[in-house]
Amino acid sequence: MSTNSTVVTQEQRKGTVNSILQSSLVRELMGLIIMLALIMFVMSQLSDVFFTSRNINNLLLSTSTVGIIAVFTTMLMIGGGLDLSVASTAALAGVVIGALQESLGLPGAVVAGLLTATLVGFVNGFLVTYIGINSLITTLGMLSVARGLAFVFSDALTIPVFDLTGENTEMYARFTSISEGKVPLGFAEAPFPIFFTIILFAVGIYVLRFTTYGRAMYSIGGNEEASRLAGLSVKRYRMMAFTLSGMSAGIAGIFLTSRLYAADPRAAPSVELTVITAVVLGGTSLAGGKGSLLGTLLGVLILSTLLNGLTLQSVSTEYQNIAQGTVLLVAVLIDQIRLGTVNIGLGRLRQFIQRN
Amino acid sequence: MTIEQTPLLQMSDINKSFFGVDVLKNVSLDLYAGEVLALLGENGAGKSTLIKILNGDYQKDSGTIFIEGKPVHFTQPRDAEHVGIRMIYQELHYAPDLSVAESLLIGDLPKRLGGIFIDWNKAYEIAREYLNLLSVEIDPRTLMRELTVVQREIIEIVKALSKKARIIVMDEPTAALTPPEVKQLFGIVDNLRKQGVGIIYISHRLDEIFHVAQRVFVLRDGNHVGTKSIDDVTQDNLVEMMVGRTIEDRVVVRQNASDISLGDVALRVKDLTKLGAFENVSLEVHEGEIVGLFGLLGAGHDTLTRCIFGAERANSGVIEVLGQQVKIANPQQGKNASIGFVPIDRKVNGLVLEMSVRKNTTLSNWQKLNKFAFFLQRKEKQHTQGWIDDLGIRMAGGMEVETRFLSGGNQQKVVLARWLEANVKVLVLNEPTWGVDVGARSDIYDQLESLAKQGLAILMVSSDIQEVLSVSHRILTMYDGKINGEFMQMDATEDTLLDVAAGVKHVN
Repeated sequence: MSTNSTVVTQEQRKGTVNSILQSSLVRELMGLIIMLALIMFVMSQLSDVFFTSRNINNLLLSTSTVGIIAVFTTMLMIGGGLDLSVASTAALAGVVIGALQESLGLPGAVVAGLLTATLVGFVNGFLVTYIGINSLITTLGMLSVARGLAFVFSDALTIPVFDLTGENTEMYARFTSISEGKVPLGFAEAPFPIFFTIILFAVGIYVLRFTTYGRAMYSIGGNEEASRLAGLSVKRYRMMAFTLSGMSAGIAGIFLTSRLYAADPRAAPSVELTVITAVVLGGTSLAGGKGSLLGTLLGVLILSTLLNGLTLQSVSTEYQNIAQGTVLLVAVLIDQIRLGTVNIGLGRLRQFIQRN
Repeated sequence: MTIEQTPLLQMSDINKSFFGVDVLKNVSLDLYAGEVLALLGENGAGKSTLIKILNGDYQKDSGTIFIEGKPVHFTQPRDAEHVGIRMIYQELHYAPDLSVAESLLIGDLPKRLGGIFIDWNKAYEIAREYLNLLSVEIDPRTLMRELTVVQREIIEIVKALSKKARIIVMDEPTAALTPPEVKQLFGIVDNLRKQGVGIIYISHRLDEIFHVAQRVFVLRDGNHVGTKSIDDVTQDNLVEMMVGRTIEDRVVVRQNASDISLGDVALRVKDLTKLGAFENVSLEVHEGEIVGLFGLLGAGHDTLTRCIFGAERANSGVIEVLGQQVKIANPQQGKNASIGFVPIDRKVNGLVLEMSVRKNTTLSNWQKLNKFAFFLQRKEKQHTQGWIDDLGIRMAGGMEVETRFLSGGNQQKVVLARWLEANVKVLVLNEPTWGVDVGARSDIYDQLESLAKQGLAILMVSSDIQEVLSVSHRILTMYDGKINGEFMQMDATEDTLLDVAAGVKHVN
């Protein structure tokens, strides 16, 4: 009998070790950290400019738009949702600011832009949870609707968002400082968008780990029916995740408008793809239930470093798109391997290698 | 049966280990043509590993497999298929919109006009021939979706036979079947045996082994404990062989109703109706009482429990908990009304498998474990530890281990713990011991008994008639969407319950 029980504990221990290895954030993130370091190394070898503070600053600034949205996309995707409409929504929020800055005044317009984006997220959430339309289809539809609205409200023109009349200099300066302001950090100054993004990630990590909202995302994404049958208000949490996703697009829209001094209905082209690529690359499962914001942060950094480096090499946008798409495909492949869907193929490969 | 012949299948001295842990130790198995060999063992005994080796899913570390005396080597399932080995799994995958004939002949439907069109007449004819082999009376034109679960299984068996299978492995084929369907399946298995096929039959239901198998093969912790002729063993022998100790018979027949101290009515259901499932159902469960609800597939008992908790919405009727009328349209309202629900199939409906024991245990009690949406971590851990101790939940690595690494019985205890943590007054259980092995099963029964003693009202649906008879204080039968019988445990027998549940006999 005693031998029997040792077998059991050994078997169980095997399970535990596996679980630690598999769920271990460290192991998953290690790969990403190495990847990031590798890309940085290669880029710095290829270009003298890469490691200048000006370039790093630019790199991080370009990270912030994607980063802000990615925080909320990560939460949404852990909860089993998906939002393709974020980039269009960001553009729409900008256009609302531009279109309403005279009638509502700039602060009112900014609030209106943010509310519009939040409303878009709310509508997405409503359609997905209460009407039951698949989230990919819903937000794909919303992608077109929001972008279309942005063109309608702006007459397809870029609307300048700066002090044309010279009457509100101070207010517009404050708006500009959203993207150009610095935050003193004692030893250095951080541009506000970077500072804001870092804070957002930090708060997000905390929320995912320690709050009911974060736990709900993991639970619902992990097993929606079990969560529902445990009495969790699945619909409400999911609505919230979509609404927050819309809101984050609004925030990104404000930063973008501030940086460009203008509201452009074409702004943030296919940023939703960059966001999703970064999130999936960071280890968040497309099937939900798994993921981390640290992973997403690394995903965002890897992607923007890659694109920044390619730009420095004067690689054209077309090729950058190819690079980004390839990264997405590889990230999805890795996700599938983790889920075990393509296991058989790899098993065969392993057998093949063993035999030869 | 003639034992002198060469075995159809011989697995000899099979060894297999994972990560240095021996899962199979020198296991040898013989299977003869025309026999049903029952493969028994608790979860984790090595049954599935052995079968996966036979099927070519896993590679054995050492040992040999012989088919009719000739050694064979499998590196993938296709190799096993090639020599006539077929698996029939618990969960069947089928295309609902294909006809029976198409499902049987898929891949080589007869063609005409140069292969452009399918020769349907011929297809139906061939399919009918195959069906006749096992005396199956199903029209080959029927769509798969229109078949019952057992009919689909039978089609799967016919298909295996049509593909020249000589060895068929059946994994828990009766798990989703009602007693009459089980009988039907056994008839087919018998016909199959007479065709000279060797069958390896895996089941957790020991009683049915005696109806279907000629020999039993028992595994325990990767060791072959013994192979016996079915005539030489009793159910208790088998349990002892599987578990390695005797499990006392749990059937406690209470002499009279006053044995149980009943409290107030905890759950009262009045005229509950769900169109298409059940109609005007009324029942009561008292504090401290375990009520068993027994019905055959489609009787509506399953949907009834779902509606009481709010997993589905009833069309009309009243539900009262401890005398208070409650509105229950969704699981949250069920939970808020102090009703807990242990759903069928814990892996699909019960647990978030990739979350820890702790997070699964507290999943229904966030209200008391958070402050301003932040979890009170120490309190959460204390509560979880309390339930782990109380229910004897066993896992290596503590409460942070993901629930997918737990055994079936311990997983079920986690689901149970969740509702105790939520402090419910009424617990509704649906098939609480599905896929749970004998040892853990009796553990769960003991838990239910002691929870009832503490005043919990328990309503339990089970298709395992032994379980209903041994655990319940009172038994309700359901037939065709209505409650049609009520028995005190001491008055109920297997036969009467089955007859009433099948609508053959009426009480009252």
